[in-house]
Amino acid sequence: MNKIVFGKYLPLNSPIHHLDPRAKILAMLVMLVAVFMPAGWYGYIVIAIILSIVTMIAKIKFSYIYRSFKPMMMMVIFLLIINILSFKEGVLLLDLGFLTVYSNALFQTFYIAVRLILMIMITTLLTFTTKPLDLTLGIEYVLGPFTRFGLPTHEIAMIISIALRFIPTIIEETMRIMNSQKSRGVDFEEGKLKEKVMAIVSLIVPLFSVAFQRADELANAMEARGYVPGEERTRYKQLKYTKNDFILLAGSFLVLAMVIVLAFVI
Amino acid sequence: MPIEFKELSYVYDEGMPFAHHALNKIDLAIEEGIVTAIVGKTGSGKSTMIEHLNALLLPSEGSLKILDHTIIAKEKNTNLKALRQKVGLVFQFSEYQLFEETIIKDVSFGPKNFGASEEEAVLKAKEALKLVGLDESYYERSPLNLSGGQKRRVAIAGILAMDPSIIVLDEPTAGLDPKGASEMMSIFKTLNKDYQKTIILVTHDNELVYDFADEVVLLDGGEVKAKLKCEDFFSDQTLIDTYKIVLPKIVALRNMLKEKGFKGLDEVRDIEELVERVVDFE
Repeated sequence: MNKIVFGKYLPLNSPIHHLDPRAKILAMLVMLVAVFMPAGWYGYIVIAIILSIVTMIAKIKFSYIYRSFKPMMMMVIFLLIINILSFKEGVLLLDLGFLTVYSNALFQTFYIAVRLILMIMITTLLTFTTKPLDLTLGIEYVLGPFTRFGLPTHEIAMIISIALRFIPTIIEETMRIMNSQKSRGVDFEEGKLKEKVMAIVSLIVPLFSVAFQRADELANAMEARGYVPGEERTRYKQLKYTKNDFILLAGSFLVLAMVIVLAFVI
Repeated sequence: MPIEFKELSYVYDEGMPFAHHALNKIDLAIEEGIVTAIVGKTGSGKSTMIEHLNALLLPSEGSLKILDHTIIAKEKNTNLKALRQKVGLVFQFSEYQLFEETIIKDVSFGPKNFGASEEEAVLKAKEALKLVGLDESYYERSPLNLSGGQKRRVAIAGILAMDPSIIVLDEPTAGLDPKGASEMMSIFKTLNKDYQKTIILVTHDNELVYDFADEVVLLDGGEVKAKLKCEDFFSDQTLIDTYKIVLPKIVALRNMLKEKGFKGLDEVRDIEELVERVVDFE
């Protein structure tokens, strides 16, 4: 089961992969802010083009990016329903008496869907090109300033990296348990409500039990290797900014500036 | 033949640039009532093959006949549930499939899914639990609080309670201590000998294969490279050299003795008997 790509790291060799994780995280934040500016279609087109160029530089196939969109479809459909029910402006497209569909509802949904797609593109680009360990390190540095307010940055970074690391494992485990229950006659696709609930229970309970077991084993392995939360740690890998990192940061701020101009000045 | 693979291929991620041919034109017939071992390296296609036996994967090409079901690639297949009742698949680390509050409920889950009434299912569950050596005192206990070996017995009972005529075992002894492993295998021996179940055993462990299997199928790179009687398999020198097959200890010992000039030791499977023959040898 390698169909779910969200949160995965793709070990390729590209300039993007070699960038400093701190720079990538900051650039991601700046880009996310840019996506949330009401910059209109021109802004989004520019952002999309820039992201596509970055994807190409990172040697990532677009089919991969496309696959990470799929889980989002349910959300878009849900949004569409809400929008159809709430937006009553624009041109009347469809009138079923009890239900009226206006053009603005479709437009608004499309607008939000584009935003979501861009957001997912930005975040998956980060996870595709950054090793989980580097990502954690980067998060820790970026959160660094908040330590003085009592934020346990190291622990947060560790939690995030462990969560990311275990997504594929848990998916694999899920597939395995689903297969064993199918063999015992569970039908995950069809059946009455009661049967469906039973099918889900037969999946969830073993999954939880496995997850707790894994968590326990992981905790033991970490302790055995001397991990103490909150303790001062030294690092083998030292982060260093290079020329490319500054280009990335400058580029992302440039995009933000452009979007702001598009949104508020013009 | 209860199971027949015909030119069966399976491709993971078909149509994608990283498509992977896990099985390549498999032609194989597995006989009824015997124990067939499927051996091969990690990634040779063993697991893919057995998932086909339960229609968890459907062939990309070719066809597969299991009892009176025929699964043909790219055709709509119905009645998969009936097939799954007849072929019991015991997964590797099958204890992870346990989920009910009590053991008896968990074991009767399978038969109930296949349409048995509550009483029938419980009856079958009791029978299956007896077969794996768990008595009445276990019925009301939680399956999640047992030891690893006991959990696996409950999981296997869960499959046996469905009363399949073919039982597929994927590394049934992995992670068990030697005593637990040999007890486990004797359960399957009983099922084969006394209940005439057809058994397919997938394993890395050639000791297990030698002790237990009648036929051996060797998979490599998604292709069937050999299908021989167990004794013939472990004496086929070219096969052993080509695929670096680790010989069972007793076969290795026999070969060494043979080199030293001892004769008439062929097909001696028991260590005691081997020692006697060597002592008596003139």
